[in-house]
Formats: sequence, C-alpha cells, structure tokens
Amino acid sequence: MLGFVCKYAPVEVFEAMDTEVGRISPSVVNFNQADTLMHPNVCSFVKSVLEEVIGSDYEGVILTTCCDSVRRLCDVLRDQCPNKFIYMIDVPRKVNDFSSKMFTENLREMIRAYEDFSGKKFDEKKFAQILERKAEAEKLRKAPEKEDGPRIGLVGTRCSAGVLNILENHHAQILFDMTCTGLSRSFRCGQEDPLGAYAWDLLNQVPCLRMVKASGREKFIDGFKDRLDGLICHTVKFCDMYAFEYSELRAGAGVPVLQAETDSTAQSEGQIRTRVEAFLESVKKPEIGKKKRTVTRTGSEKMYVLGVDSGSTSTNAVILDENKKIVAFDVVRTGAKSGESADKVLQNVLDKAGISKDQLAAIISTGYGRVSIPYADENVTEISCHGRGAHYFNPAVRTILDIGGQDSKAIRLSETGEVVDFVMNDKCAAGTGRFLEMMARTLEIDISQLGPISAEWKENIEITSMCTVFAESEVISLIAQNKEKADIAHGLHNAIAGKAYSLLRRVGLNEAYMMTGGVAKNPGVVKAVEERIGSKLYICEEPEIVGALGAALYALERV
Amino acid sequence: MDYVKAYGELIKKTAGSHPLAARRMIYAGLIEELIRMKIAPKKEMPQALRMLNYQSVRKVYQAIRHPENSCWTNIFAPVEIMQCFGLDCVSMECLSSFMSGFMIEDHLIDTAESEGIASTLCSYHKGFIGGVDSGIFPPAPLSVTTSMVCDGNINTFRHVQQTKGVPSFVIDVPNENSAYAMEYVTGQLKDLISVLEDVTGKKMDMAQLRRRLKMENASKQCYLEFLKEEKHRFYPKTLTLELYLLFVTHLDIGSEDSLRFLRLLKEDVKKYPTRTGPNIFWVHLMPYYQQTLQKYFNYKDDYYIQAIDMNLDYTEMLDTEHPLEALARKMLDNIYNGPYSRKVEKIAQLVKELESDAVIHFCHWGCKQSVGGVMLLREKMQEMGIPMLVLDGDGMDRRNSHDGQIRTRLEAFLEMIDQMEEA
Repeated sequence: MLGFVCKYAPVEVFEAMDTEVGRISPSVVNFNQADTLMHPNVCSFVKSVLEEVIGSDYEGVILTTCCDSVRRLCDVLRDQCPNKFIYMIDVPRKVNDFSSKMFTENLREMIRAYEDFSGKKFDEKKFAQILERKAEAEKLRKAPEKEDGPRIGLVGTRCSAGVLNILENHHAQILFDMTCTGLSRSFRCGQEDPLGAYAWDLLNQVPCLRMVKASGREKFIDGFKDRLDGLICHTVKFCDMYAFEYSELRAGAGVPVLQAETDSTAQSEGQIRTRVEAFLESVKKPEIGKKKRTVTRTGSEKMYVLGVDSGSTSTNAVILDENKKIVAFDVVRTGAKSGESADKVLQNVLDKAGISKDQLAAIISTGYGRVSIPYADENVTEISCHGRGAHYFNPAVRTILDIGGQDSKAIRLSETGEVVDFVMNDKCAAGTGRFLEMMARTLEIDISQLGPISAEWKENIEITSMCTVFAESEVISLIAQNKEKADIAHGLHNAIAGKAYSLLRRVGLNEAYMMTGGVAKNPGVVKAVEERIGSKLYICEEPEIVGALGAALYALERV
Repeated sequence: MDYVKAYGELIKKTAGSHPLAARRMIYAGLIEELIRMKIAPKKEMPQALRMLNYQSVRKVYQAIRHPENSCWTNIFAPVEIMQCFGLDCVSMECLSSFMSGFMIEDHLIDTAESEGIASTLCSYHKGFIGGVDSGIFPPAPLSVTTSMVCDGNINTFRHVQQTKGVPSFVIDVPNENSAYAMEYVTGQLKDLISVLEDVTGKKMDMAQLRRRLKMENASKQCYLEFLKEEKHRFYPKTLTLELYLLFVTHLDIGSEDSLRFLRLLKEDVKKYPTRTGPNIFWVHLMPYYQQTLQKYFNYKDDYYIQAIDMNLDYTEMLDTEHPLEALARKMLDNIYNGPYSRKVEKIAQLVKELESDAVIHFCHWGCKQSVGGVMLLREKMQEMGIPMLVLDGDGMDRRNSHDGQIRTRLEAFLEMIDQMEEA
C-alpha cells in the first residue's frame, strides 16, 4: 500500500494502476527515531509520520511540497528507505493556467516514476472510470445523523482519532471538517483531457493555508455561520500555519474559537481534553442532573451539595447549603494518588460541616483528576467552575487569571458569569506553580517564603528563559554569581507575570481582574502581575477553593 | 551599566501606548550609531567592513525613516527588479534582527504571540509581525516575497496585509527546475513588473535591469575572490558583520554600493597577515549576540569563521541577455530549493574549495527547512572526515538560547578540533 497525508495527493492516479492507497493516520507514542533522524523542533505530525512509515510495511509514500517539514521528511525517508517508492509531487501555490499545466506535467512525471518502480501501466480510460465511480458514490453519500450537542466546525491540521473521540463522546455535531484531509474532493467527469482536468480540480479545492490565495476558506466557513456554535482550530506543535488562521478567526469569525494544540501522539487526547470539554461547555451549557442519587433527608433538614476540585497540587472541597452559603471547605495536598486525597478531603470537609455523606444531594467534581473521583455524580471542567466560583465571590469580575500547579489559564467572563473565552498555557510547566516550586527548591527556600523574600529585592534581575529546565540552570548560574535570593525571586515573579500577561492579553484585558489558584497566595507574583496589567487583582480569602466552589454551584443546579 | 539594554527597556515601555514615539526612538538610536561609526570607528575593524557596517545600518534607518521608498521582502526575492523602480529592499528578517539589536525582540515576539501566532514560528517572523502590528515598523507600499525555502512567508505577509493593509505579492517558486517551472516563474516576474508599475507610477527599464545583473555578476566574482584570498589570512570580522554581508549578497545585490564595497573587500583582505588556525565553515544563521560565540570568533583568529552558506546560496553567473529568465533560474536553482541533497552537495563543495577544517550548523528556533535535514548534512560531513557541530538556539530571541549550553558544546568541539590538528 502507498501512504499519503495531504489533500492535494493524486490518490486516484494510483488507484487507476490498481495500487491501494491509504491515508497515513499515525498512532505513535514517542519520537525516539524521528528526533534523531530529523530534529525535535520539526512539526510533530511529520515526526509521527516518519515513525509510522519506518515502523510499517508501506510500499511507499506520496508526499506533496506542502510545507518545509514535509520537504525534509521526504529527504529523510529517501535516505532511510531506499527501496520504497518515496515520491514528492510539487503542488503549485497559485492556481492559473500556467500552474495547472505545470502540475499536469508533474503528475505525468510521477506516473512515469511509478511505472518504472512497479512495472504497472497507467491507463487513462480506467482513470476516467474511477473518477466517474467516485462522483457517483459522492452523490449517494448520506448526511450524518444529527446529534443534539453543540454544532462544531473543525479547522486547522488533521486531528488524531483521540480528539474526534472527545467530540463524539460529548455528542458534538461536526458540521464540517476542514482539516487537512477532512473535506471530500470532487472531480468533473467525461473531460477530453482527464488528467489535465483532474489537475485543475485538485488545485481548485477549498484551499489549504499553503496556497497564496486562501480566501476560499473564509467563504466556506461563512456558509455555516447561521448554524455554528463554535470552531475548534486544531494545531500541531511546530506546524505554525494554522495558528495564523486561529489568530484571524479569533479576531473576526464572530463565533467562539478554541485552539487545541497537540503533538499528534496517541496521548494527544489527554493533552487537550480539558480545554475541548470546557469549550463545549461554554458554547452549550452543561446539562447537569441526568443521574439521580438517593439522599437521606427528612423534611426539615437543610440541603447540602459538594464540589470537589482535584488539582495537580491540591485537592479542594466546598460544601454549600441550599442558600448558596459556604458551610465548610477544605484543602489537602494531592499526593501521588489523587483518589486517596479525594477521599481525605471528603472526610475532612464532612467533619468540618458536621454532616454525613448521605446528606449530600449532589456532588460535582472538577480539575485534572475530575474523572477519577468515584463518589462524584458528574464532572465539569475547572474552567467553567472557575467562572462560576469567581462570579459568586465578586460579580464585577470579567477576567480571571488562574495559576495552578501545572496549568495557568486566563478566562473571560460575561456579566452573568458565563465563560466567554479562555486560553491555557501549553503543556510545559512554564509559568505555573510547579515552575515556582522547582525554583524555590533550587534557591533552598520554602515555597511559602518566595513571595515575602522577593519584597526585599534591590537589583532588577531578568530571568530570560521561561522553560523550566533552562530557567533552573539560569538560576543556578545566578546563584554562582552570588546574587541575592530576594533579587532572583523577584526576577522569577516577573517572569511568571510576563507569561501571565501574555495569556491575559489573548482573552482581552477587561476589569475587574481576579486571581485564583495556589500561586495567588504568593504576594510577589500578585504584585508583579498587578504592575503589568496596571490594575488591582481581586483575591478571595482562599484562592484555591474557587474551582471547588464553582463545582458546588453546579451541583446546586442539579438538585 | 548596559546602555543598549536601558534604552531598549525605555523603547519597550513607550511602545505599548506610543508606538510612534518608540519608532522615533529607534531611528534616533540608528542615527546615533551612524554618527558613532563616522567619528569613532572600531579600530580593529578593517576599512572595507567599516563601509559595510555603515551601509547596512543606513539601509535599515532608511527603511524605517522613509518607508515610502522601501519594499518588504525576504532575502530570496528578486530585489534587482524592485531596485529598477527606486525601491530599497529590506527583508523582514533584517528588520527583526535590528530590533533584537535594540534588545526589544521579546516585546515584539510577545505581541505577536498574544494575537495567537504560534510560539514555534520562526522568531524573525514573530518579531516582524509584532513590529508591524504594534505600529513600530511603518508600512511599506508593497511586500514581495518568494514561496521557496521558507514556508512561513506566505502566511506572515498575508497576515500583515490583513492587519495593516500592505499588499503582498508572492512569487511561487516550484520545488524543481523545468521548462514549465521556468515559464511559470518568468510569467510571475512579468506580473510583478506590472504591479510595481502600478504602485510606483514608473515604467520598467529593462536596460537598467541588465546593467544591474552585470553588476551583480561582478559583485559575486569579487566575493568569491575574497574568499579565496581569505583562506589563509586573518581578516578581523564579527558575527554581526558576517550577517551584514547578506545585504550585499542579497538585499542590495545589483547596486553600485554593493559592488563598490565588494571590490574594496577583495583588495582589503590582501593587506592582512596570514594565519594557520583551523578554518570553520558556518551553516545557517548566527546568534550574533551570544557571548561565548563573540568571545571565540569576533576579531579572533584562533578559530576562524570563513563564511556562512547563506551568502553563497547561488554562485552561478546570471545571463544578462535574458534578465527575467536569469532571475527565475536564480530562484529555482537556489541551493535551498529542491531536495536537501542539493544543499549538502554545495556545502561539501564549498568546504573542499575553501579548505575548511570544520563545520558548525546552527539550528535556529522555528526554521524547519534547515533543522529537518541536519542529520543528512552530518552524514555527508562524516563521510568527508569533516567534524561538524550542531548548535541549537535562536538567531535573535535571547530567551531561546542558553549561553551555558552553547559554551559547553562549542568548547568541547574546539578542543576536539585541536586534538585532531595535533594528531
């Protein structure tokens, strides 16, 4: 079988030579070979294709000159697989008579090369028949059955099965899939010069962003505007093309847009689950209250609900009564097993409230570990919960900065406390609580001391690296230069504030601001962020429980 | 106190609320630099390079001060045609780099990233987008770029067309040369000429273009002669000056200024003493600001960087009788276009001709076309017995390069070369 990856690949030509052609859908878990054969900073999708092709028995691969990473993939594959048919067809970026003529000739040359390689012969009549058959099949294609969930359009680079699974599990209706090979191609039949007409039709598809004129994409999306709840723009690490589209859509699509970035490994699903789920929740409110639970309760007793936020650093719980009054809350450190800390926080908070578990009418979990809390009835992402929680504490809040253990996020709220937009840091620990923890360890001070110490700074030190690993070696060299801990801590806080500021800018700077998460307890970071945004941050008494409180508010809705 | 840094901080503080004031601060800085070069030139800098230094800074100053006379390009664009319309070409890489010289690259890059532009995009592109969108770079009347070599161009220039209304003309250069490809590219050059006639209101003068290509051929010849002479001489250079050569080999090639400089360069080198230390051939960009690299290579001859491949990406002579075809061929046959093996073969040939003892390849953040093939180049160098070092970092964003890491790698490599020389 020959593999292909791009929608401009002339698949039908090979089918006319009785060669099976299949789209390469890589499912790799690491880039051990690709990082050595290419470089870690090459597009992750391309690296996963390299891993896949080297590890399987493709007869060859049909590539196109779609981007620089693919051009280099072709070079490396030719070097590594000298006996396979590794062919790269040059696809022009402009569509006109000249380019179409050239592309037709490129197709002819490719056919000759494959005839030489395989000993097969290309038959133009058969090719025309295949195009006809495909056109017939296209007519018979049924529209997918309608689901009740949010109506989503997919744009960007091709999604792995994992990403599509999340959408399916949430009953999302995919109105269109404009990612690399998502849209079906149509060809005219019965042409005098079938190959020439085919070349023209291939070039005239809804363009990809490599093409000089890409306005066809906008028009295509516009056609769905009246039905669309939101757009998900899938981007791949080190493929920069579709971030341009994301930037443009954000600025003017008129519908909510989520950027979901993966590294196209099999683990991708986990990387973006929270943000995709939060996005689906924000475009269509979560329907809480499908499951029933039995509550031990006599008529006169009060009703209670519980929200649990299982984060990477702390697990937090809040019990509310029916009047939305906080009855009790508790915060425990998340140990190596999130299940154990979830049990512990449940016991603690029940003790504090002086009630038993049976008296809880509903339990909603949130946070990274939200799916692994067995006693929760349902789960909602921490983004929606933070929105609710923040609105509860201070209805004036429009922008939330949440810096937790392994995530930092900026959330924009509407006047009613609904999440309108949000962005999260990428998967590395830059600019998170974990980053500060590691730096505190390097400075040999307790994390809780980092803030107070930094207040005594004198020299303005700039920490340039935001990569946790690089920053650590930068801090080590500052220590070697005998710099003061206070000055280094101050520099670290400024670095975090810089990263937070760029997140906030992406959702828009709207007052009032609130900061949540464990890092909000660090006065050094708070001050640095306030200086950046030129405004005050509202911080509630216990900034770590905002998510759990939001979950409890959701729980109240379901009873 | 680091004055450049302090001035950069001041520009960054101003840029957010008053981009025009920040722009004025930038050209004030450039004027100061031009005056300083005239009054107190660096003693160790050879005469020809002083000329290059001055010309290069002046070019950027002009582009920011008089945007109406400039054209935004990439370094592979057919600048000779734009010159015929009185437009000075300035590449977005060059504008970005100069902002890094002012130490404000972080501000510009953060601006671009906050719009949603990918953090993994080449830093030069991000710096340029940030500079344009924040209002620091005044818009040129037109941008002319090629699709070849770097796939970021189309989207970067389309982006600034959308945000600031700078019309973008893209020359789509096929991956391989053929009769059809020649026809396709030449046709686009004709289209470009009509666009330029519309934009400037001037008529194309083909005789001038022929004269420019003649000067270009003469310029190339001078540079090749310089390299031949430089093989065994100590001609004191810096990383920055090596990059400034891109002005005369690309952005301003075909001009009298460039030819005058290169003529002087090939004579100037003959005045300098001979040397015996190892010759190093550099591949791809240079992080000109990196302390360790400056320490080992700026005005030093213990280890001598002869040239970077980027200044030698098309060494053939142009057919001055058929100027448009010659320019089309120049793009199609560029060593970075087509398969990577073309670049490998050219570097192998240059390493032989220039008698280089070692190769350093710099992997610039976000440049997929160069980093993706680095292992293939390494294989070839191994086959030739030429030691090669691969350094990772960033040509302009200081936050993506770590001096400690570069130092360890470079010093170990230089020790290795020394041992090989001794053996």
